[in-house]
Amino acid sequence: MKLAKIAFRNIRRNRRRSLLSGTAIVVATMAITFLFSYITGFLGDYESNVVRYLTGHVRIRHVEYDEHEQLNPLHLSVANYEEVVRKLEAEDGVVAVVPRTRFFTAIYRNDQTFGGIGLGVDFEREKEMMNIQDSLVQGRLPRTGEREMILSAGLARDLDLEVGEKLTLLTKNKYMGMSGMTFLVTGIVRFQVAGFNDSFFLMPIDTAARFLKMDDEATEVLVMLRDPKQVDAFVEKTRVILSNSGWNDLSVQAWTKVGIIYGMIRYAQNIYDIFALIFFLLASTVIVNTTMMVIYERTREIGTVAAMGMTPREIVRLFFLEAFYIGAIAAFIGVLIGVAITLPLARTGINVGGIMEGVDMELSSVLYPQLNIRSTVFVFFYATAIASLASFIPSRRAAKIEPVEALRAV
Amino acid sequence: MTRLSFLILAMGLTAALSVSAITAEEIIANVERNEINEEERIDGSMIISDRFGSRVKTFISYASGADKMLLEFTNPEEKGQKILRLEDEIYLYFPEAEEVIHLQGSALKESVMGSDFSYEDMTGEGDLLDQYKVTLLGEETIDGRRHYHLELEAKKRGLAYPKQEAWVDAEYWVMTRANSYSLSGRLLKEMELGDIRKVAGKYVPHYIIMRDAMKKNSSTEMRIEKIDLQADLPPNVFSLEELTW
Repeated sequence: MKLAKIAFRNIRRNRRRSLLSGTAIVVATMAITFLFSYITGFLGDYESNVVRYLTGHVRIRHVEYDEHEQLNPLHLSVANYEEVVRKLEAEDGVVAVVPRTRFFTAIYRNDQTFGGIGLGVDFEREKEMMNIQDSLVQGRLPRTGEREMILSAGLARDLDLEVGEKLTLLTKNKYMGMSGMTFLVTGIVRFQVAGFNDSFFLMPIDTAARFLKMDDEATEVLVMLRDPKQVDAFVEKTRVILSNSGWNDLSVQAWTKVGIIYGMIRYAQNIYDIFALIFFLLASTVIVNTTMMVIYERTREIGTVAAMGMTPREIVRLFFLEAFYIGAIAAFIGVLIGVAITLPLARTGINVGGIMEGVDMELSSVLYPQLNIRSTVFVFFYATAIASLASFIPSRRAAKIEPVEALRAV
Repeated sequence: MTRLSFLILAMGLTAALSVSAITAEEIIANVERNEINEEERIDGSMIISDRFGSRVKTFISYASGADKMLLEFTNPEEKGQKILRLEDEIYLYFPEAEEVIHLQGSALKESVMGSDFSYEDMTGEGDLLDQYKVTLLGEETIDGRRHYHLELEAKKRGLAYPKQEAWVDAEYWVMTRANSYSLSGRLLKEMELGDIRKVAGKYVPHYIIMRDAMKKNSSTEMRIEKIDLQADLPPNVFSLEELTW
């Protein structure tokens, strides 16, 4: 108890020194708290976008589609997709079931050819998935059955095209022949995913079917679940439902097993873990360095208290307590500032659209950091512990020196 | 000189004379004369085979001379689609498109209806001698018939096929085989023509098989079902205005 008082008095006595030591810890913990929130937000965004834009939690395709995907094999489709959708919509735990038809096109405009990727979608059902309405920056959504489309902002810019203008597309149809059709552009959409903004356009799935000479067919049906952890059980259930209804040419896959996408997420997580670890080590170095420097500087003071009869054990405890108090207070302040920076950004987001432009990755142009309580609490305890432990080495060493010698130290 | 060696020499001279009796340019001119008609109408079909199976596209084509051609698809999936060729320009018409597409640049390399023919293959007809330096490599017998073996090398850059090899039936003046190569000598396309029939005094191959060497397991067989070399074509059939009607 006496040592605790002395430790507090020492902290107050030399405020500049305490402030220097504390500031290093504040900055380090603040940065780590924010970085962890940013990484959590980044990975959450990537995962959410992959599910909403690409795979759903469960993806249903023709069993041979993936093998020939590069050739855009529209004949390898999900036939009678409306029935598949209705059957799965009736299942428990399902948030959305959406049919989509993906196709490649050539766009001819002003004697120039542009490439484009088309998506035939059910705009009503997509409310729970891509939420296209909220991404619309101009105009309106296309009407079912009409020869209408909406363009991604990047494509509209490249084509120098505005809402109300018409556009002729050429594509390979289901029978591998050519199809050409003129569409009215009813809106411009700025997708959350920057990569989608360069070449994508959307139209009603029945219009796409007419354009591509498909019947009641979609290239895929995606399912979003309320609880993604139930995905494997739902995949099994879907296989049984489809098989019992006579769809034997369909493949049902959990999003974690679709191509390399999930692997990419795991890879990104690993990269960011390494990145966080490096930053963590750097921050630890700053804390350790500052604490040790401050104690080494006080060798004479250690000599004095030793000459006054304080045992080496007490000296070590005294410095440990000093470091612990500074560490705990500074880590708390650092975490608080980190949280204070993160919370408003978690609402407003950080615009990374400029950086992500042209990057073919399912990342939003605005990233929202997500505060992770577990990692934030961990950062607090870790920073406090590191600062306290860092005091051991110099204080133990100084405490072993004879008081006369310690008093001579500069 | 013995009688035998005289005979061998005489045979050699005869063979040499028979090769040099006609020039490569004359062979090409004969081929084009046989191939190009004032006004023709063809009802035909294309059987496209690839890894996904076979598909049939039917068409009616109209041609006038070497520079004008109109191809109209009649199979249900592409019914009403038209391809108009005016000299080296290609225009596409789709019933559900509000504009005529003028194909240019790399778009000409695209496949016609997923076949082994490209739009480029439809152009440049009738002016081989302007585009290629032609060399007669010799004579060969193919399927029991005498053929001239020719080599064609592009005179200018930018042609779809910098090098070609062709075999011309010495009697019918029909190119029965042609291989196209890239500048580096890589085989790009192989074409075979057959079922040659005499129509209105000309020899017309009734099937063409084209294989795009860049596509795996792919071939396109074009068949002529009906041909009229003295067709009375509607006026303005080769105009852009007529295309959209």
